[in-house]
Amino acid sequence: MSEILVEPIRDSGEEEVTANGKSGRTTRRWVLIALVIVVLALPLARPWIGAYNYVLQLGMIVLMWVTMASSWNILGGFTGYISLGHNVFFGIGGYASGLALAYWGVSPFISAVGAGFIAVLVGLLIGLITLRTRGPAFIISTIALLLLIHNLIDNWELAGGASGLSLPLPPLPLDWLKVPFYYGMALCAFGAVGLAYLISHSKFGLGLRALSQDETKAEVAGINTRLYKVSAYALSAFFIGVAGSLFGYSLSYLRPTTFFEIGLAAQMVLMCIIGGRATVAGPVIGAILITAVNEYSVVQFGGTALNIVVTGGILLATLIFFPLGIVGSLREAGRLPAFLDWD
Amino acid sequence: MIDLLQVLILGLLLGGVYSLMASGLTLLFGVMRVVNLAHAAFMILAAYLAFYAFTVFQIDPVLSIPMIMAVMFGLGVVIYLSLFPRVEGSARYVEMTVLMTFALALIVEGLLTFFFTGIFRSTRPEYATQSFFVGDLFIPKGQLVALGVSMTLLVGLWAFLTFTKTGTAIRATMQHRTAAQLVGVNVRRISAISFGAGMALAGASGSLLSYLFPFFPSRHWQWVAILLSLIVLGGLGSLKGAVIGAVLLAVASAFVTDLLGPTWSPITFFLALFLVLMVRPQGLFGKVVRI
Repeated sequence: MSEILVEPIRDSGEEEVTANGKSGRTTRRWVLIALVIVVLALPLARPWIGAYNYVLQLGMIVLMWVTMASSWNILGGFTGYISLGHNVFFGIGGYASGLALAYWGVSPFISAVGAGFIAVLVGLLIGLITLRTRGPAFIISTIALLLLIHNLIDNWELAGGASGLSLPLPPLPLDWLKVPFYYGMALCAFGAVGLAYLISHSKFGLGLRALSQDETKAEVAGINTRLYKVSAYALSAFFIGVAGSLFGYSLSYLRPTTFFEIGLAAQMVLMCIIGGRATVAGPVIGAILITAVNEYSVVQFGGTALNIVVTGGILLATLIFFPLGIVGSLREAGRLPAFLDWD
Repeated sequence: MIDLLQVLILGLLLGGVYSLMASGLTLLFGVMRVVNLAHAAFMILAAYLAFYAFTVFQIDPVLSIPMIMAVMFGLGVVIYLSLFPRVEGSARYVEMTVLMTFALALIVEGLLTFFFTGIFRSTRPEYATQSFFVGDLFIPKGQLVALGVSMTLLVGLWAFLTFTKTGTAIRATMQHRTAAQLVGVNVRRISAISFGAGMALAGASGSLLSYLFPFFPSRHWQWVAILLSLIVLGGLGSLKGAVIGAVLLAVASAFVTDLLGPTWSPITFFLALFLVLMVRPQGLFGKVVRI
């Protein structure tokens, strides 16, 4: 594949932030700071928010998708390896913490990080096997992994099997129930976006981009591609695992179908691609946009059947008409506003 | 002993149908380097066509196959021409096309759920529930019919690929796309025909599926993952590999079902996939493809 490079390889985005130059960087810094403050302060605005729990729930879901799409981007964007079953780590995280709570009484707020590490471990083991292949066979293996784990959990009596496992609610007054989940998910989202930023600015990230362009050449250039891509796979699992742990606890009921539906992976892919692959801001924008679309279409059409059609339709249209996504296309046209350029 | 033989026979019967299901998928990969994740979604669509042909017009699912194949062939050509030429020559062709078929699968699944609901369906022609005995061996009639149909279609596919001019062009494209183009093969036309043929094979498989297995829209993910495991085992793009992979895994899953129960049978396929990737990533008959 020695054709034109699709994404520009940028050794350090800092020096070439669009045309806006230095003032652009300052704008971006303030926009980011403001964003973080808004996210962190939202639960404090209780007296001014009507449907407080609904707003926090929605906020939590957005942050969850930011986490998932940003994490997917590490593998699917920077490395160029498409995983269509990445929510397997979401499920693994959810079940790891859920089981720890149900059998040992460990609160998921404590075990969430452990759940993330379990997801990383699984990612390492599976990555060592499946990343021996490139392209189609790898993609196939990601779907197979998802269905494999789904089937195993379905048959695992200890974890409640297909009918699920119910968890005790956190010992909190109902009014404040959403708050810890919201903040937990916010930490996840900051972590995942931060990780994506760090990777895109490191030698590791540069290596990933190189191997996403041409793996053989990258190897010849001295990059240990196997190590790089397995690491990317495992790293991309961490925050998804943590998010799964928190999400499962917030539902207080774990069911295999909640976590292992391939539709979740489809959402991650869609968010990342529509926002812009291999960019830091892309998945965040994609996550916000698609969550809004989902929320709207659930309100409008009610059921989930048409929601899947909408997801598929948007994905198809994006792939055909602007495969670089929002951030990628704007950047190519030289019109990316500085506050959206987080690379 | 008789038990083992019985399981083996049931496995072989299913293996024939799995071969047919996987043939379209591997054909498409061979010709276009496209992993069609929507293959099983179209199978389920065809299963619904067969279901309604049977319940509304009393057309037997086996007899509706030619009609369904024709419809699916046309649909395939339309889908191919409206989507794939747009991404031809893209630097990320393989993953673009995979994602496109992924999106297609979601759209088909959603539409099927919307129109036909998520209820389990199954076509019930008479032979689907009949069976007979050879000595002590139990042979389900429906599966035997399905095996016969599958074998007929696979032999037909083989003859088409071997003896017709279009078939030769398809094989040439499978071997080397650019070289085929150089000797005058209209690669786009061949790709459109192959896509149609792949869909027609999915259509025929869907008709058989409609009475062999209960189905509902979101079932297709399980199916496509199983079929993809088969063709990875056989070697992506190899028809012979797909058939052998299908028979091997169908028999293996029949034994697993016998030992552990039916819920464990899909797991066989996925574990086999990981095993293959560990031992021989290119599959039994695959070439090492550098994409």
